[in-house]
Amino acid sequence: MWHNQAILTEAELVLHGDLGELQCLVAEITRFCRENALGDEVEFELNLVLEELFTNSVRHGGCAGMKNAVRVRLAKHTDGVHVEYFDHGAAFDPLTAPLPAIDRPIEERQVGGLGIHLVRQIMQDLEYHREGEWNRITMRRPG
Amino acid sequence: MIQLTQETKSGWWVVGVQGRADAEAADELEGALRAALEAHPKVAADLAKLDYISSAGLRAVIQAARAAQARNAEFAVCSLSAPVKKVFDMSGMHHILRIHGELPC
Repeated sequence: MWHNQAILTEAELVLHGDLGELQCLVAEITRFCRENALGDEVEFELNLVLEELFTNSVRHGGCAGMKNAVRVRLAKHTDGVHVEYFDHGAAFDPLTAPLPAIDRPIEERQVGGLGIHLVRQIMQDLEYHREGEWNRITMRRPG
Repeated sequence: MIQLTQETKSGWWVVGVQGRADAEAADELEGALRAALEAHPKVAADLAKLDYISSAGLRAVIQAARAAQARNAEFAVCSLSAPVKKVFDMSGMHHILRIHGELPC
C-alpha cells in the first residue's frame, strides 16, 4: 500500500535497551519533525507513540540491557508519517493485547495497557509481524 | 525532565509541574504528588507548563488520585495545555479525576 509513494525524507535510529535512550529518541524525532516542517502536534504524538513502544520493549519485552535492541525508521509521505518499529525482544503482538477499560472508576481502573491503547488511538494502519528474531510494527500517523 | 514547584493558594497546596512527564520522570512526579498529599488535605497539580505526558506520567497522576482517595484528601488537576488534555481525554482520565480549566482556588 505504501510502496508506490515517493518518500520525502527518512530518518533511522538504533537504541540500546536502556530507558536513558529516550533522550536520543526525543532528539531524533525533534530533528526529523523540524526538517520536514511537521507541526508540534505530530512531534508530540510521534514522541508519545515511540516512548510507549520503547518502554514496553525495555520493561516487559526482554530488551533491558540489550545492545542495539530497537530500530526505528521514520519516513514522511504525502499521507503522513510512516513509522517502522523493530525490537529484538520476545515475540509480542501489541495489537492483540487486551485494552484497558478507560471508562471505569478509579477503584476498578487498571494501570497497565494504557500505552498501547494510546498508540492505537493515534496511529492508523497498524500491523505486526514477527520476522526472525525481531518484532516489527508498521503504522502511519495521518496528516 | 520535570521541574516541580510548590506553593499555597487559597487553601490549596499547588504543585506546579513543568517539562516532560515521561517514563524517566514519572517516579519523581508520583513521589512529589504523594508527599504533598501526605502533608496537605487539598492538593492541585498545575499542569499549565507541562509540555508532554506519556502513559508513565498518567500513571503517576492516577496513583496520586488513588492515594488522595485513600487519605480522604482532595486532589485536582488543572490548566492542561491542549496537547496534554488530548492525552488525558484519550485515556478517560475525566472518569477518575477532577480536571479544572484553571486552578480551583
